[in-house]
Amino acid sequence: MANRTIPRLLQTPAVLLLLFWMLVPLSMTLFFSFIRYVLNNLRRPEWTSPSIDNWRGFGNYEYVWNQDAFWLAIQNSLLIVCSILFLTVALGIAVAVLINRSFPGRGMVRVLLISPFFVMPAVNAVLWINMLLDPVLGLQGIAVDAINTTIAGLKDAPLVGWFFSLWPQFEPISFRATQTSAYAVIMMVTWQWTPFAILIFMTSLQSEDQQQKEAAVLDGAGAWSQFRFLTLPHLGRPIAIVVMIQAIFHLSLYAEIEIVSRGNGNKNLPYYIGELVNNNIGAASATGIFAVILANIVAIFLLRMIGKTLME
Amino acid sequence: MAIVAQHTKFSKIAWPILAWLVALIFFFPIAYMVMTSFKTDADAVKPEMLFSFTPTLENYANMTENYDYWRFATNSIITSVAATIFTLVVAVPCAYAMAFNPSRGTKDILMWMLSTKMLPAAAVLYPMIFLTKSVGLYDTHFLIVMVLSLINLPIAIWMLFTYFKDIPKDIIEAGQMDGLTTWGEVREILIPLAWGGIASTALLVFIFCWNEAYWTVRLTTTEAATLSKLIEGNRAPEGLFFGRLSAVSTAAVGPIVVLGWFCQKQLVQGLTFGAVK
Repeated sequence: MANRTIPRLLQTPAVLLLLFWMLVPLSMTLFFSFIRYVLNNLRRPEWTSPSIDNWRGFGNYEYVWNQDAFWLAIQNSLLIVCSILFLTVALGIAVAVLINRSFPGRGMVRVLLISPFFVMPAVNAVLWINMLLDPVLGLQGIAVDAINTTIAGLKDAPLVGWFFSLWPQFEPISFRATQTSAYAVIMMVTWQWTPFAILIFMTSLQSEDQQQKEAAVLDGAGAWSQFRFLTLPHLGRPIAIVVMIQAIFHLSLYAEIEIVSRGNGNKNLPYYIGELVNNNIGAASATGIFAVILANIVAIFLLRMIGKTLME
Repeated sequence: MAIVAQHTKFSKIAWPILAWLVALIFFFPIAYMVMTSFKTDADAVKPEMLFSFTPTLENYANMTENYDYWRFATNSIITSVAATIFTLVVAVPCAYAMAFNPSRGTKDILMWMLSTKMLPAAAVLYPMIFLTKSVGLYDTHFLIVMVLSLINLPIAIWMLFTYFKDIPKDIIEAGQMDGLTTWGEVREILIPLAWGGIASTALLVFIFCWNEAYWTVRLTTTEAATLSKLIEGNRAPEGLFFGRLSAVSTAAVGPIVVLGWFCQKQLVQGLTFGAVK
């Protein structure tokens, strides 16, 4: 009897806390998504506080669904998440294979590589958009300027001068503009999360079957076919996990988007919700429910995969 | 041996150079930030002073004056430490019960806990603002501690569970034979054996709390604002202030990056929920 009660008692605080955390705010969002709830409305003051009398049915969902900004936000969310996933996985595999052998200073290389992951997102964004990417004062501006000066100097050089006089004057790119701000976000998040991919792929590579590899070498397999037919299949599961975990994290990117351009041109779903929250709570809540659905599509696959390994 | 044999002389030299080059490229932005933090604001934007400059500690000395750094840092320390302690106090007993007295529902409870982590925060933003403002908790340390604990609780329980699972059950049973109470088991057997696991869980939770940038920004104004909020407030092109901005950024991330170096392994376990070993 006591055997069952004590374990249950020990789990209760954690379960209750998480139950509260999950259920209370989410049910409120669900409720708000079905009512008219607008904070600043002088014409209809009854809409400014939540009440069941303002029932709107699926009206908020319909309203959001028909907003161009909503689809733009979905499109941006997907562009940002998919680009980051592709870049981090590709770079992660390349670097993990690169350092998966012993060489002088390997420990130090690992330490340097993992560091970006621990930089707080706000610092990451401020550092990149101001000091690295700024078209005038950032390293980008300085580098473009230096290239232009070098070319201008070489134009008068004998023999090769005509070649350099064909070159155009390079223009630095402003990463705060509508068309480019999403790329800045992609760059900085890729920098931060590639170390995570490297670390996981490296952990996984260490458990790779070396005997199998040696057998392949004896059979005359080259480096590429070893990678293609042994290493890559071995990395299948870690890749899936890196993709899904990152998808869940990056679907809720916020600080980077806010810092780079206040959402100008790179508004994703969380940012769009953040803007609606200033006034139209009904629409913000309906968008929130859409975001939950989107995240759940990824989460179901991830949970299933983790569940399989759980009790091993 | 066969693997070693195929390394040519070229790859023996080129490989480490390439690896070091990649590592230095990845680390460069951090190094650049640290370097700039030792330049004056005027020097920081002069291309000719990119690498040759007279280092100064002025930016660090003026951090309090320029940014009120310590107020935000104190908030970060208070909330992160308190949240880490609270998370462990709730998570250790829970993970202990799950690992040593699993029932049929244990797996489902674990999966469900994990699923709470996958809820997009933005979806519940307004209810959180509404609730906390109506009970007067908005912009309080207590609120931030609770929110940080709740978002990290699933990760902590999972990590601890995977550590506790590896402790042989026989040891605990032997303890029970000797008449130890549940608390006695935890104190005499579990904590000494799983000390390393508990410590690295605490470290990782602390890092996540420190770096959190959604709720700490959206649920605070001044009282409980953390370093994330301070840095986020300096988003504008602060061209003239690169030096001081770098100093405050370095101070905000430096200790955490160093702590992070010590828990690389735990990071893999904590973030993949034991699915990659």
